[in-house]
Amino acid sequence: MLFTGIDIGGTNTDIAIVDGDVLTRKVPNDAGLRGALDSLDIRGRLAVSTSQPLNRLIAAPPASVYAITIPGPGLPSPGSVAGMVNHRGDILEEIDPAAIRTALEEHAAEYLAICGKFSVRNPALEEQVRSIALSFYPPERIATSHGLARLDFPARRVTTEVNARVLEIVAAMVRTISGYAQDFLFFKGDGGLASAGAVLRDPSVLFNSSPAAVALGARYLTGRSDCLVVDIGGTTTDLVPLRDGAPCMQDVRIDGKNAFIRSVQAESIPFGGDSVIEAHLSPRREGNPMAFGGGRPTLTDALNRCGASIGEAARSAHLDPDRAAQAVRAYISRIAAGVRASDAKIIVGAGFLADHLIPEIGREAGVRCILPDHAACANAIGVAVSRVSLSLRVHVDTGRRRVVINGEPVHLHQEMDDDELVAWCKGEVRKRALCMGAPEEDVADVSLAYFSAYDVIRYGRKKERIADLQVAITPGITVDAK
Amino acid sequence: MTTGIVYHPAFLTHEQHPLHPERRERLAYTDDQLTEEGMWEDPRILRLHPRPATREELSWVHDERYLNFLEQSSRTGGVIDLDTVIPPGLFAQVRLAAGGGLVAGESVMAGTVRNAFAMVRPPGHHAGTCSGGGFCYVNNVAILVQSLKRKGCAKILILDWDAHHGNGTQEIFYEDPDVLFTSIHQSGFYPGTGDATEIGAGEGTGYTINMPVPAGSSDEVYQYLLAEVIGPVAEEFNPDFIAVSAGLDNHFTDPLAGLALTAGGYAATMAFAVELAGRLCAGRLAAVLEGGYSVEGGLPYTTIGIIAALAGMDLSGIRDPSSYGPLFRRAFNPGALRHVQETVRLLRTVHGNIWHCLS
Repeated sequence: MLFTGIDIGGTNTDIAIVDGDVLTRKVPNDAGLRGALDSLDIRGRLAVSTSQPLNRLIAAPPASVYAITIPGPGLPSPGSVAGMVNHRGDILEEIDPAAIRTALEEHAAEYLAICGKFSVRNPALEEQVRSIALSFYPPERIATSHGLARLDFPARRVTTEVNARVLEIVAAMVRTISGYAQDFLFFKGDGGLASAGAVLRDPSVLFNSSPAAVALGARYLTGRSDCLVVDIGGTTTDLVPLRDGAPCMQDVRIDGKNAFIRSVQAESIPFGGDSVIEAHLSPRREGNPMAFGGGRPTLTDALNRCGASIGEAARSAHLDPDRAAQAVRAYISRIAAGVRASDAKIIVGAGFLADHLIPEIGREAGVRCILPDHAACANAIGVAVSRVSLSLRVHVDTGRRRVVINGEPVHLHQEMDDDELVAWCKGEVRKRALCMGAPEEDVADVSLAYFSAYDVIRYGRKKERIADLQVAITPGITVDAK
Repeated sequence: MTTGIVYHPAFLTHEQHPLHPERRERLAYTDDQLTEEGMWEDPRILRLHPRPATREELSWVHDERYLNFLEQSSRTGGVIDLDTVIPPGLFAQVRLAAGGGLVAGESVMAGTVRNAFAMVRPPGHHAGTCSGGGFCYVNNVAILVQSLKRKGCAKILILDWDAHHGNGTQEIFYEDPDVLFTSIHQSGFYPGTGDATEIGAGEGTGYTINMPVPAGSSDEVYQYLLAEVIGPVAEEFNPDFIAVSAGLDNHFTDPLAGLALTAGGYAATMAFAVELAGRLCAGRLAAVLEGGYSVEGGLPYTTIGIIAALAGMDLSGIRDPSSYGPLFRRAFNPGALRHVQETVRLLRTVHGNIWHCLS
């Protein structure tokens, strides 16, 4: 089996082809996604990690997003329109189409988010608003909230606004990449892979995927389950802890608010190969190092002045050798301090300059260091060897004969007891992962992350049963690449 | 400052019987509503974890023989009355519920939160010194009040607005002039006590104020009693702490009572209590959940109203679904207010020589 992984970083796009052997390549981002894809003869499975554009977008000043909300009774919400779905998924109040048209006419914005309370139990009202909004916004500028599948209306609203802003870009990427590989997969921020269809329903899953990629790549290249990955990039150096073979996840807040976005826990230190050297090493990037045609000396040029031969090393000669040595020392002691603070016993180097800096960082931090082959493209290797990860949140209401899976209702055809229900949900998540191209062995292990059920009693008799559960196939390395 | 909510999934596990009105399902929809409203993540809300009350803390209120009976019956199962059986394992659950009330009070007194709501099960206000009943085993609010006294609160106001009279709480503090027990409840209803002429005894004479209201009493009745009786008396009493027995069974959809309070009415009632606490005792207020059996149609909306009022949130969206209109009209009694005005006249007669504001 052959796996191709692409990770679009801040400066370069890294490509890895894994089929027992590993082949890696770096392409400057100037050529764009098409440039990277053109340079490849894609066979086997293609996986793409593209969080950089999303990261930039999310960090950028807020675009104009209009949020139509359907809060119903309870805490009020800005942008509210009439309509109400209750906790059972029943529609107790209808929307007012004329009022929604008026609201859309009065609030011109670039993107539209639609979010109703309890839409994850019944998406009908959100869908009705969406169909009205299609006369005002192109479909790729509208996001709805029910596919996020989790209760917590305020967090769902924030996430839906993010999705409204990024959907169009992601959809354009899907079209581009599909021209090269029909069944490609996206690499998500949790380190797992997902189909384009799944990502278009919730593009926020792509956020900040690079630390997950490098963590998985380091694990694949070294076989280490517990270590600290030191990923030396152009702008930053990221310290990513691996515990029990997996990176640690953390919640991401958007403008200080809760959202349903998670990413790998990493300490990002604002120094990398492109950090400029003025009097001292500065936490700033101003283009490429001189060795790569830039105008200002950087840490990369300093390494050349200390004996390395990176890029066109002669161009780095402009930099004073003492200042170069001092900058390299400053960098190493800053990163070593970060390593020491992490309590790591072993560090694994990754990134373009890992060969030149990791042994010295390890020595100064007093920890063992491992520098695997292909460390420079560990991120793309992580993308290539990852596996499909998928979570289903299921709400079952026998009284309504309704099963809602990740916000999409399905008719309940047969009564099931709790054990049968769990088995059925596990089967469903497997089926969906197999449809995304996962091999059988990758979907063998489905975890039950949550289960809660109770009887509905009316007039002293058990009438119905309500159950909530979550089943998941967790991220990891695909069995075919092991 | 934040509002604390004491809640634990273990509060869902108590069940006398799977079909009993006071059952596991009771808080499930409410938990969904709170989660969907983002309450657990809201910076104005702090989730507090209950601790089991100690045996000694229970004995501040209850007779040792009664506690022994509860503890022993909890091993094998037992019966208090037809509505209140003792399922195996009950004692641990009532200790956790009472501990929920204690944590609410302790957190307010420590300044960790401004006020708190202990969303506990099983309820407590029908439990007296040596008795349980009406789904209640130990008196959560009374144990809270006794702990507050030990923490230096000299005077405590209890506001019990459960649809059923808080006979247990009344009994426990009937002769205690440091605890002013006020109760609004449906007249002629379980447990049958709570007449306006029950006013306390001994040194506690006048420190029990009962406000029975007729079936169909709605928001304006509660607001009238708050403005005419509870507010003025509270000011005169000048408490150091306000403890609320927050029954949610006054809602017009409740199957076990006949009152007609709305979700908005709940929010307004709690907002009044919060304002009173702010004015009289630096905001110190803790509410303990009592009854409330409209598990699906009422509790999600009334609980949000109560918490939003405690936390000073925007109450403009607190309401019932508009499709409930016919249910409300069926429950509402337009003559209730006039009837209650009569009751207040009676209260002025029986309490006028004790409370200047009522004379």
